[in-house]
Amino acid sequence: MDKKHISFGKIFGLYLPLIAILLFLLFPFYWTFITSIKPEAELYGSVVTYWPKNTTFEAYRKLFFEFNFLKAMGNSLVVTVSTTVLSLVVSVLAAYAFSRYRFKGRKFFMVMFLTNNMFPTVLLLIPLYAIMRKLNILYTPGALVLAYTTFTIPFSVWLMNGYMNDLPSSLEEAALVDGANRATAFIKIILPMLTPCIVATGVYIFMNAWNEYTFAVMFTNEANRTIPVALKSLIGQLGVQWDLLTAGGIITIIPVCILFFFAQKRLVEGLTAGAVKG
Amino acid sequence: MKKVLAALLAGGLVLSTVGCGGSSKSEVVATPDQSAPVAAAEENKKEPVTIKHWYWADNTEYSAVMQDIVKKFNETNESGITVVAEEYPWDGGGYSNTLFSAAMGGGGPDTASWKLTSTPLFTANNLLANLDDYIANWDQKDDIDQNLYDIMKQAGGTENIHVMPWNTQILYVYYRPSMFEEVGIEVPKTYEEFLTACEKLTRDTDGDGKTDVYGFGMRGAKGGQEPWGSFIHGRGGNFEDMTSPESVAGMQDFIDLYQKGYVPPTAPTDGFNEIIANFKSGRTAMTIHHTGSSAGMIETFGEDVSAFPFPAGKGQWTSMGDTENVIFESCKNKDAAFEWVAYLATGEGQKIWCEATGNVPVSKTVQALDFYQNNKFMKASIEGMSYAGILPILDTTTEWISVTWPNTVGFALTGEMTAEETMKVLQEELYK
Amino acid sequence: MQEKKASIWPYLLIAPALIIVIAVVFIPVLQAILMSFQSYDLRRPNNIAFIGFENYIGLFNDKLFWKSLFRTFIWVGFGVGLQFIFGFVLALILNQSFRGRGIVRAVSLIPWVTPGVLIGLMWRWIYDGNYGVLNDILMRLHIINDNIPFLSKASTAFPSVILTIIWQGIPFFAIMILAGLQGISQDMYEAADIDGASKMQKLFRITIPSLKNTLFITVLLRIIWVANSVDVIFNMTEGGPSYSTQTLSVYIFNKGMAMDLGYASAMSLILTIILSAVAIPYLINKFRTEEE
Repeated sequence: MDKKHISFGKIFGLYLPLIAILLFLLFPFYWTFITSIKPEAELYGSVVTYWPKNTTFEAYRKLFFEFNFLKAMGNSLVVTVSTTVLSLVVSVLAAYAFSRYRFKGRKFFMVMFLTNNMFPTVLLLIPLYAIMRKLNILYTPGALVLAYTTFTIPFSVWLMNGYMNDLPSSLEEAALVDGANRATAFIKIILPMLTPCIVATGVYIFMNAWNEYTFAVMFTNEANRTIPVALKSLIGQLGVQWDLLTAGGIITIIPVCILFFFAQKRLVEGLTAGAVKG
Repeated sequence: MKKVLAALLAGGLVLSTVGCGGSSKSEVVATPDQSAPVAAAEENKKEPVTIKHWYWADNTEYSAVMQDIVKKFNETNESGITVVAEEYPWDGGGYSNTLFSAAMGGGGPDTASWKLTSTPLFTANNLLANLDDYIANWDQKDDIDQNLYDIMKQAGGTENIHVMPWNTQILYVYYRPSMFEEVGIEVPKTYEEFLTACEKLTRDTDGDGKTDVYGFGMRGAKGGQEPWGSFIHGRGGNFEDMTSPESVAGMQDFIDLYQKGYVPPTAPTDGFNEIIANFKSGRTAMTIHHTGSSAGMIETFGEDVSAFPFPAGKGQWTSMGDTENVIFESCKNKDAAFEWVAYLATGEGQKIWCEATGNVPVSKTVQALDFYQNNKFMKASIEGMSYAGILPILDTTTEWISVTWPNTVGFALTGEMTAEETMKVLQEELYK
Repeated sequence: MQEKKASIWPYLLIAPALIIVIAVVFIPVLQAILMSFQSYDLRRPNNIAFIGFENYIGLFNDKLFWKSLFRTFIWVGFGVGLQFIFGFVLALILNQSFRGRGIVRAVSLIPWVTPGVLIGLMWRWIYDGNYGVLNDILMRLHIINDNIPFLSKASTAFPSVILTIIWQGIPFFAIMILAGLQGISQDMYEAADIDGASKMQKLFRITIPSLKNTLFITVLLRIIWVANSVDVIFNMTEGGPSYSTQTLSVYIFNKGMAMDLGYASAMSLILTIILSAVAIPYLINKFRTEEE
């Protein structure tokens, strides 16, 4: 093929749209960072500066040493990882059942899972709080995990069901004919093929649990506050603590991006490492 | 492989059954706040008590101040009380909702920091302890003005006091003396002069045809009803009848300031953060706020900032912001809880808090301290006290403040509703 | 594929998910449905009583309700629609191989990782009518001559918050579609190459049909999610100015915060029914094709 032709196509088919979308997606992030290192006077100055004249990393120091932001991050991590693992395990099973079996009540349960997503959380706060208290898990990470899974599970079940239906079932059938039982077929064939979708769904669950505020403020106390609640504490009646808030945002985002950098490889590897070339 | 699957399943089942099973044994489980504290070992007459206290902090420094007060109280009180203070985000007033949901759900703290506007909701559901007897038998009762107790009583809509005064914030006008000098005006003595000042202070300083300095920083977002009340009263109106010609005239003044461009065009959505930022950056020449922001103002301007009380027209009014403490009905040690809120109202807690935050103390003893007598912003606050008031506190007030007022006034400012129509809606929604 | 009937396996498989969901959400939702037929206003607990359909009749006569409902359609239509288009394009790009793809994939996730509190405040700051960078950029480009108070004017506030939700939702579609793309067998593309198919033909004849289930379900779930989302709008404008950014879910949130739970429940039920109506054609089609 003509090399010049490819690079021309790549510019318009790949790099230009990529740069445009990235600019749109990342500019607010850049602006958050700039805000976190600007002194307040410059923030409200008459001229908007795209790189601060005076940079100060004071907010980052304060956040870690005075505000104890690391603790909130640790709490968030515990809650988020537990929610993700728990939701994924139970949803993969349920999605598999919905996708590969036909059984009585299937449609009913599927519809139930879907409508479950539709109810606004603000109405559920008081009853949920009472339930958590009765379960005696109020003000523990368990309360948050339970509250989150009730919303992430239905969503994940449907999402993975969609993926599973797009996957050809010929492979499992072949395995079944070969004498493997269903569980073996599931673990050996289905799971590897599902890896990209499990990763994607996992990311989805992770984000929801990571960013949730309304439940978090109700079901945690100071000892197990999560990041969104910690950030919200920085907005009082006397103003927004821009420096701390934006610095907090930046250090919230970075670890997740690093995590995802490693996870995203799975998004690609799924099929090639799996069984399609069987 | 079957085993793995079964194990996964079993794991899931166990988790969920643990979840369900718990509910049956709930009655047996003691509330967590009863754990015995270690402090005050030498005090053997009284049982050690733990009081769980919720509060919000307007910034990280205030949060530290609160924890200091708690520490001091725990060290010095002689009743073996340990206060455990937990911070909750203010969340634009969402704090009260968090508190309410927790209390309704059967949890929540023993005591909590408070805003008067949420009182009717809580008293209607019998969540707050009646403080009448505690206050009547309190040796420092008279250190707080009777007027304040009356306001607390009104707010609950009952015959009893459910709310313990803590501190107040009287709104006044911040201004930039240098800007007054530049346009050659004096501090307004009357309401009309104030309106004229707004006009005169609005200037195009660099000659590019655009306004660079606005006379007044108007707050049109949630919370703006406080300074707005001064305009309504300035024309002789009041909150009881907002549809009276006087009240409507005050509303018209408010609209005119916006439409004539004497306030920033962002006014409909400007909240505390924006009005303070605009004032500090020199974009506005005057704005209305309380002593809570005075430390920051001095830091920015040094001598070039001062204050005057909102001037009188046919009437005079300024908003008294408030912060109190309450004891919940579910609290098991109300005596100890009262000792703690009393410490905040008139004790060392009062002094430390008000000095650190610049709020106006409720304790007369503390008010008399030099710190308050020699401060020009405190002076403007205390001058305003005689005509300071609050919005009628009804069960509709919270919604009115956070939804009805900002949105309806938004229509008015942009000319989609007239002053009469606006005031009619405001009246109906508050007294519905 | 069909399976022998009367197996206990599928029930065991869905049991954990079902138990968690039912144990925690079922009762509160039932309570909410009951509340919608009561004058359930916790500000007036002594007046709580069953009032039949009065809340619903009230809704019918509530102008704010109709306007909020209409706004919800705009919000979802533009919000999800554009999220989907940009997300799809981004997924197609990220599926190609180029240097630094891993990093680009990771950073393009940023809008989604950002807590709603921060999204609201940052965009408010970007749109700010006095110090906002968007105004500054537009001025420098000579597109505007005077600062626009984006969020303070009813006419610009709603488009502004929609732009923010689009920004926030692109990564969701990008990641979900990217995962779906991995499930498409390369053989099909190779076969199409042999037939001399163009890129567009491959997109519409292979990629999109193969992703059918994934696309439908992601869009459906996203519609539900965006229709219910409150935090971006609330953190940016709280539904104002002059209710111009109040969607139905924000209205429900406001009523819920005011503790007028009966009215809020009635609105929630209407919203749920409408969202179900969106889902029903998909469900009917799905269940029908399954049976074939």
